[in-house]
Amino acid sequence: MQAILLVFIPTLTIVPAAIAAAFAMRKISHAAIEGMTRQPEIAPQLFTAMLVAMALVEALVIYCLVIALMVAAKI
Amino acid sequence: MPEAIRHLLPYIVIVNFALVALVLIALAFITTRRALTEVPDGLQNAAEFVLEWFVRLARDMRPDGVPVIAPFLASLFLFILLSNLLCILSFPVINIPPTAYYSGPLTLALIAMIGITVLSARFKGVVGAARHLFWPNPLQIISQIGHTLSLSLRLFGNIGGEFMVVLLVVKAAPYGIPLIIHALGLIPAVIQPMVFTLLTANFLAEAIQSEEKQRHDAAPVELPSSEPARSGK
Repeated sequence: MQAILLVFIPTLTIVPAAIAAAFAMRKISHAAIEGMTRQPEIAPQLFTAMLVAMALVEALVIYCLVIALMVAAKI
Repeated sequence: MPEAIRHLLPYIVIVNFALVALVLIALAFITTRRALTEVPDGLQNAAEFVLEWFVRLARDMRPDGVPVIAPFLASLFLFILLSNLLCILSFPVINIPPTAYYSGPLTLALIAMIGITVLSARFKGVVGAARHLFWPNPLQIISQIGHTLSLSLRLFGNIGGEFMVVLLVVKAAPYGIPLIIHALGLIPAVIQPMVFTLLTANFLAEAIQSEEKQRHDAAPVELPSSEPARSGK
């Protein structure tokens, strides 16, 4: 039982978060790249804005990763 | 990491941070040892290239505060960047990046958030800084704690996660394959300091911009009804 929990709880914590973040990042990069190709002269500003937005999405996955690590260390 | 040095980990984090600081101080001395020239070359060119970005960031934020804000942001950026890049060295103990253990990123995030409060007290006075923490919403002090946690956890998760992957892969396949993982790890190692600095700059801009500027920014801008003007050719 212990071994099953050890495998499944961290996995079930991180996997849905990663999938959701992948969809969010797809949308962010799609919009940013489309903007860059339409208007190359503002590409540097768009790139920084894209990085910040990506970081905000990524932070949520990182929280899940930290929770998964904590759970894995507890069990 | 070998089990033998696990109990030394807190000291390793501190020593590696100190090492990075020493390297940065030495670089600063080397780049400014010669007389600075009007047309930069070599090292001075590289240093100006790095600093220019922060100067522009600070000028957008508050033109009279450039000499205070730009060094704050630049030292955070360079410190985190060099700490992350320690993992590509091939020396046994020095190649543990101090940002891969939670105490390191937490320290950096605390420095950033306390620095923001101190800077806003310098520009707006102690009353203005305290007012930013409690006005218009008294719960804003909680959001400061949230910002600290999110900054530190983001850095820790990226660098620490990558470092853990490297350790696991090295155990399974010691030759060749870790090189690929290291090459992929260089991407977060360069982007995360940038994100950390940009977010700190955003929080700082929120904290120190005068209320007139905020009102001016919030005011509706009259857009031209015709096709928007295009810059360039």
